[in-house]
Parts: sequence; structure tokens; C-alpha cells
Amino acid sequence: MATAATTAKMAEGATKVSLSWLNVWTLGTVMIAMIVVLPIAAVIFISLTPSDDIWQHLASTVLPLYISTTLLLMIGVGLGTLIIGVGTAWLVSMCRFPGKRIFEWALLLPMAMPAYVIAYLYTDILEYAGPIQAFLREMFGWTTKRDYWFPEIRSLGGAISMMTLVLYPYVYLLSRAAFMEQSICVLEASRVLGRGPVRSFFSVALPLARPAIIIGVSLVLMEALNDFGTVDFFAVSTFTLGIYDVWLNMNNVAGAAQLATVLLIFVIFLVLAERFARRKKRFHHTTTKYKALPGYLLEGRARTLATLACALPVIFGFVLPAGVLTGYSFIHFETAMNADFLVYAFNSFSLSALTAVLAVAIGIFMAYGVRLRNERLLKVMVRLASLGYAVPGAVLAVGVLVTLGTVDNSIDAFMRRTFDISTGLLFSGTIAAVTFGYLVRFLALSFGSVEASLGKVTPNMDGAARSLGHGAFSTLRRVHMPMIRGSLLMASMMVFVDCMKELPLTIILRPFNFHTLATFVHQYASDEQLGEASLAALSIVGFGILPVIVLSLAITRSRPGHGKEQAQ
Amino acid sequence: MKGLHVFGLSHAYGDNQVLNNVGLMIPAGELVCLLGPSGCGKSTLLRLAAGLEKVQKGTIAIDDVTVATPKMHLHPEKRSIGLMFQDYALFPHLSIIGNVTFGLLGMAADKARRLAMDMLDQVGMASHADKYPHMLSGGQQQRVALARALAPKPKLLLLDEPFSGLDTNMRQTIREETLNVLKHSGVATLMVTHDPEEAMFMADRIKIIGANGTILQAGRPHEIYYHPNHEFVAKLFGMMNHFEGVVLGGRVETPLGSIATDLREGLAAQVLIRPEGVILESNGNGPGTLVEVTSSQLLGHDNIVRVRLNNGEGEELYVRVHHTFEVELKKNISARVDHEYAFVFPLDEELGNTHAMAPDPAVVEPKAAIAE
Repeated sequence: MATAATTAKMAEGATKVSLSWLNVWTLGTVMIAMIVVLPIAAVIFISLTPSDDIWQHLASTVLPLYISTTLLLMIGVGLGTLIIGVGTAWLVSMCRFPGKRIFEWALLLPMAMPAYVIAYLYTDILEYAGPIQAFLREMFGWTTKRDYWFPEIRSLGGAISMMTLVLYPYVYLLSRAAFMEQSICVLEASRVLGRGPVRSFFSVALPLARPAIIIGVSLVLMEALNDFGTVDFFAVSTFTLGIYDVWLNMNNVAGAAQLATVLLIFVIFLVLAERFARRKKRFHHTTTKYKALPGYLLEGRARTLATLACALPVIFGFVLPAGVLTGYSFIHFETAMNADFLVYAFNSFSLSALTAVLAVAIGIFMAYGVRLRNERLLKVMVRLASLGYAVPGAVLAVGVLVTLGTVDNSIDAFMRRTFDISTGLLFSGTIAAVTFGYLVRFLALSFGSVEASLGKVTPNMDGAARSLGHGAFSTLRRVHMPMIRGSLLMASMMVFVDCMKELPLTIILRPFNFHTLATFVHQYASDEQLGEASLAALSIVGFGILPVIVLSLAITRSRPGHGKEQAQ
Repeated sequence: MKGLHVFGLSHAYGDNQVLNNVGLMIPAGELVCLLGPSGCGKSTLLRLAAGLEKVQKGTIAIDDVTVATPKMHLHPEKRSIGLMFQDYALFPHLSIIGNVTFGLLGMAADKARRLAMDMLDQVGMASHADKYPHMLSGGQQQRVALARALAPKPKLLLLDEPFSGLDTNMRQTIREETLNVLKHSGVATLMVTHDPEEAMFMADRIKIIGANGTILQAGRPHEIYYHPNHEFVAKLFGMMNHFEGVVLGGRVETPLGSIATDLREGLAAQVLIRPEGVILESNGNGPGTLVEVTSSQLLGHDNIVRVRLNNGEGEELYVRVHHTFEVELKKNISARVDHEYAFVFPLDEELGNTHAMAPDPAVVEPKAAIAE
């Protein structure tokens, strides 16, 4: 039978469908995912390789302690952030009381504080030689430590408090968004059916927000597992500290990798919980009718309590430490503001900026690739490449070191064999290693936000641009990128700030004698020289506030039906 | 041949066959409408022609160049097509002139601007050139989208429900304007719609796609309306009066008189009569059957009247009349059929399909293409 193809000539430049997987987007994404996943794979691989009896030794000595401490830390921080985060989110989104407008965004401020920074500060304030205890001794005439009881800040409880104070905003942010998304009709229905505001909260609002809350708490726990600065300073034996200890003090790669693998099991549970909650979240939009939230007017004691409940986390999580930090910075400005500080600031800034640009570029590449070619392989690869965010920095650091070490050694061996030149360690202990570590850890952040904003651009835009003669790259550059410019900025900012704060990866991966603001703060504060480090710490906090501001603006604007009514 | 040539196209999403051996030919300057219910695959055909989806079976050629087969795929940007979406998909970050010049690649900026302004002038939007899409009304956005699609002088224009986003008042004006612009440009146009009236108004030829993805009937609007070859096609234009009977002596009896048919003798048949095919006459002694009016509703330019047969004893009929019809005054009324609006189909749907499947001209046309 004759077909049109027999008469018409084939179009020039057409692609063969059978080879369509051989495509820059698919290949690129697969390669990126492979490279990014390499450090995690390396950790697991090494831990499974039989070595000396280190595992036996670890299991019989420190492992039980690491497990119980890590679990207690997770339970403590999880509960703390849950109560503070959900409680304040409910208050500011559903009630009216003095300062509500300010608390809406101020409750996010502690996000700008790295846990290790407030750990140093509170230790400084609360330890035996600190101003509080000195004041108490003065007042009651106590002379020695044995005369009175005072909570020891350098303890598991202390670490839990510090992390809770700076991590609760994750839960606050997500549960607030969930409360704002809830249709007031559902709550009104509950009220009409005879349940009071409090019972409505527990029987309707809270269950509806549950997926978001679980996501928030999982993120918090991932951060808690990632923390190194606080537990190191407080000498709380968590896994992260253990890995660091086995790696650097016992000089045992296999042992560190084995600990890291056990820690990964914790992480897998968190990732699964988070994924599960995200999947559930989709079914929780009950209606499309939105109205401004009710704003129960609080009076009397409830009013005071609400204000207090929102004020305390902000005060202890941000205002007080930031104030003390600012004070110290003024006092020690002369000594702190020196050439070293500028070098460290430059290091931090350039490393973070470089990573931010790379992470967003790669994020755009992958997200657009998935959009263009809706293939299962690509989606799996992209998920794989996003795993780094859940993996604690110490684990990644071990993986990156092992991976780069292997690469370096192979290159060196090859070069020696063929050209009789020793190249030594090309990547290990370089800026490139640090950047790579950052990328592995923060790629998910940029990818997720690019993917979300691309998802809001109708596919018809692609169709229109393509039919008007623009190829895939040109369409990305001229249509999508300008349309999602805001989210790209936000994504680079978040990666930038996270890199500025990053400690465990940087400490292990940095070149010899190389400091960022974070490692500098860590080193000086550990040596009880907080004053000298205060300016650096304040700088980190200062940059950390940027995304907090943008986030807080976004969250108030995002609620459908909450525009004009809210202006009243 | 200049224009679009689609041959033997089949497409399925999983088990859902949305296109089934569809053929289509649109010479330059002609407008063909694909008409069918939602989900019947008409938009898929559009997306396949545009290159937004890959062909599973069949061939697509534009201006005698094959652009897609199951083995090869020319990207949309290389096909020289214009595409207009239901939501217009104007680029929100570009001005109107920026949108229209977007497709004028490799052209000097001043020349591109002149051409785009000319195009905007044709659709009456030249004065809005420096505004942004969100500042325009729906109708204005539609005009800009048309100008944008036509500016690069495409070989084929694809319109996906181009008027469904507009309110009723606006729609007719915009349709007429669009038709003028299209005739002026001489481009081959494929338009997808679910609105039969729109297809009738716009199309040189209409192709009707059924729910199973086959083309049920193809022809000029007049043929589709007056000579539907399938029950489904007849019912597209709205509610029908329905009678059942048996073919006897080449006719089927109905309460309104017998209707001629070429169906096989003795076959169970159904008769469908358009509401405008029932003629009411106030003279009760006329040639028709006596009926009683039960209700009359004014819909604007015409009236929907319900009447009962057998002077109020029998079935209810649905009648469209063009003048105001006052129930109280019309006591003694007779109804008869205008045979132009009465169609006979087999009662059994399976049989109906085989009967109705007149050879689709596009399926046999490739031979002509060979001769060229």
C-alpha cells in the first residue's frame, strides 16, 4: 500500500525515534546522578568490605552509646520542634492577639542561627563562669559549684534545647502553610457540628495538616543528624561525632564508613516518612473554596499566654543570641576585624556563591530534562541525585574523601605508569572537594525548587515556543528562565546560605589551613574565644536572614482567598 | 501538495485507543475542523501534527515533506507550523510585540518589528503593541495569539479550541475576524473543536471523530448537517426527535408520516428528526398530525416548543420555530416533517457503523499524491 512517505521526501534534521534515549538531557542527568550518588555508594561499599575487626570493637564499645544518644536526641528535638512549631503556627494562623503580625515572620528568624552558634553563645552565658551563674552566686552567697544545682548546658539536654530552638521553624513553616491552605469551611463545619475551637483543632485541623507536619519534623531530624558543631562542643556522643572521632582520631576509614552506614539506616526511615507524607498530602485538599481564616480573638489570660508562647522561641532562638553576638562583635571589633577575617569571609562567600550557581544550573538542567522527556529512568535518576540532602554531612564527607581518594590514586597510578609523573592528590583536600561535597548535599534544594516552579508553567508555553521555531535550549533560556526568575533567585539564596552555615563537610574536606567563617567560628569558640569569633558568627547569621525574609513574604502572599480580606 | 497530509494515523494511551487509522488532507488555504466529543483524540491529532507527541503508527507530511513516522520525528521547531492554544499561552514576561516577534528568528530586529506590527495591524491590535498580556482582555489575547502564530508565515496552522475561552457575545465577532485573517493568509488550517456550530461556521470541511477514534464522517458543513451518515453525527447538533420502526417498501413509518430510506427491507430502524424539521401549522386540517402544545420557551431568536402527538395523547416532540409562538393562541395545530431534516439509521449500532462508513476521501487520496 502506498503511503505518503513514499512520495514525500524525509525532512532534514529529523531524529531517529529509536535512538531518542541518546539525548543530552537523559545522558546528562544520568551522569550527574551517578556522580552525586557516588559518595553515598562508596560509604556503603566500604562498610560492606571485610576489614580488620574494627566493627566488633565498635559494636562492643561505643555503638550502643551512639545509638541510644542519637535516638534520644532525635526524640527530644522531634518533640520539641513539634510542640513549638505546630503550636505557634496554629496561634498565628488562627488567632488574633497582640504582636501576631510580627510573630508571623519573626518566628522564622531562628532559622538564620546555626545550632552551633547558639550553642557557643548559651554556653558562654550559662556556664559556671558565665554571667547568670555569677549573678546567682553573688545574690545567694554561694561560693562553689557544690552549693547549688544549675542545669549543665554541655549535655544531651543542652544539645536538644539548642537544636530545638533553631530547627522548630521548619515545622512552623510547613504546618503554617498547611493551616493556611485548609479551607475555613471545614473548620466551620466542625464548629457547626458542635465542636469548640480547641476540639476542632485536634479533630480537624491537626489531622489535615499531619502530612505537612511529618515532612517538617523529618526535615528537622535530618538536620539534627547532620549537626556536628553542637554535639562536638557539648561532647554528646551521637553518630556524627562518632564518625568524626573514628575517622580522624582513630584514623580508621572502614570503621567510620560502617558507622556512617548505620546512620544511613536512620536517614532512610526519615526519607521514607517524608516521601510517604508527601504522597498523602495530595489528597488533603478538601475543597477549593477559601475564605480568610477566622482569627479567633483571644482575650485575658489566653491573650498573654499566646503572646508569650510566640515570643519565647523568638527571644531565645534569635533575639537574645543575636543581641549578645552583636554586643560581643562591638566589644571585640578591633581584634576580630583583621586580615584573617576578611580572607575567611571571602572564602565563605566565594565557595557558597560558586556552589549556589552550580547547584541552580544543574537543578535547572535536571528539572527541564525531566519536563522535556517524561521518562521513568530520568525520574529515578533525579530522585537519586536528590538523596544527598538527607545524608548527614559527616557521612557525605567520608564518602567524598574516599571517592576522591580513589580517583586521585587511579590518576596518579596511571600517570606514573604511562608518563612516569606522579600527580599526587589532585582533588582531595582542595576547594573542588569542598564544592563537590556542598553540591552533593544541597543539589536537592535547588532542584526541588526549580522543579516546583517549572511545574507551574503550563506545557502550552513549551508548545507555543517550540512551534514558533525555538529549540529546547532556546525555549528554556527565553521562556522558562525569565518566567521562573524569582524562584531561581530564591533557590540560589537558600543554597548560598546553607553553604555559609555548613560545618561538618567543610571541616573534613577543606584544604589544610583553609578556613571559612563557619570553621573559624567553630575553632575559636571551641577554644573558648567566642569574642574573637563573634563577628564571623554574626556575618553568618546576617546572611542567614535573607532567605528568611523572602520566605516570610512568600508565605503570607501564597494563600488563595487571603489577599484583600487580610488587608482589613 | 502544499498543506498537511496525514495518513493511517493511530494512537493509544495504554489501552485507550484515541485515534484509529485516521487520514486527513488539508490543502493550503483550506480550513478543516475536527469535531468530536472531549477525549476522542482530536487534540492528540493536533499534538501529533505539531510534533509535541511522537507518532505511534502512521505518517504525517507537511508540504510534501514527511515530518513524522513511527521511526522518525521532526521537532516542532523545525516543522514550520503555527499553534494556537485554548489558553493562548502568551509569554507573560514579553510585551505584545515581543510575543509576536518571538517566532521571527534570524530576522533583523527592525524588519521583524515591522512584520509583527503589520500582523498586529491585521488583527486590530497594533495600538496595544507595547502592553503586556495580563493587561489585555480574553478577546484581545486571542487576537495576539493568532498574530503570533501567523507572523512566521507557517505552512500549517493548528488551532486548539481557539474560541472556547471567550464569552458568547465576543465569540461570534472573533470567529469572523479570525476567519478573515486566515483566508487572507492562505495557510492550511486544522482546527479542533467540540462545538458543532463553531465547526459549521469556520470550516471548509468537517471531520467528525467518534469516541473510538475513527473518523465517522467527513464533508462540507452542509453535508454533515443535512446528510449525516451516522446516528452519532446527526445527534451532534443537539436534541433529536426519535422514532423506531421497520423498513417496509423503502420507507419507515412515523407518527408524523413515512420517511424514505435505502436501508435493507425488514431492518429495524430508527428515525431521527431535527427539532427544526418539525413544521407546526395552525390550520388543524393541514396535511400533518394533530398535536397539542404543552410548553413554549423563548430562547432569543427562536422558540423551543414541546407538543404532544395524537392531540395530546401520544409522545412528546421537540420543535424549534423561528417566530414567537404563543401557546394559548394555538389550540388546533398540526405537525408535519420537513424531509430534509429527517434521517433513518439502523437500530443496531454495530450495523449502523458498517452502513455509515462511507470511504474517507483522505484514505484513498495518497494515490493522487503519488501521481504528482
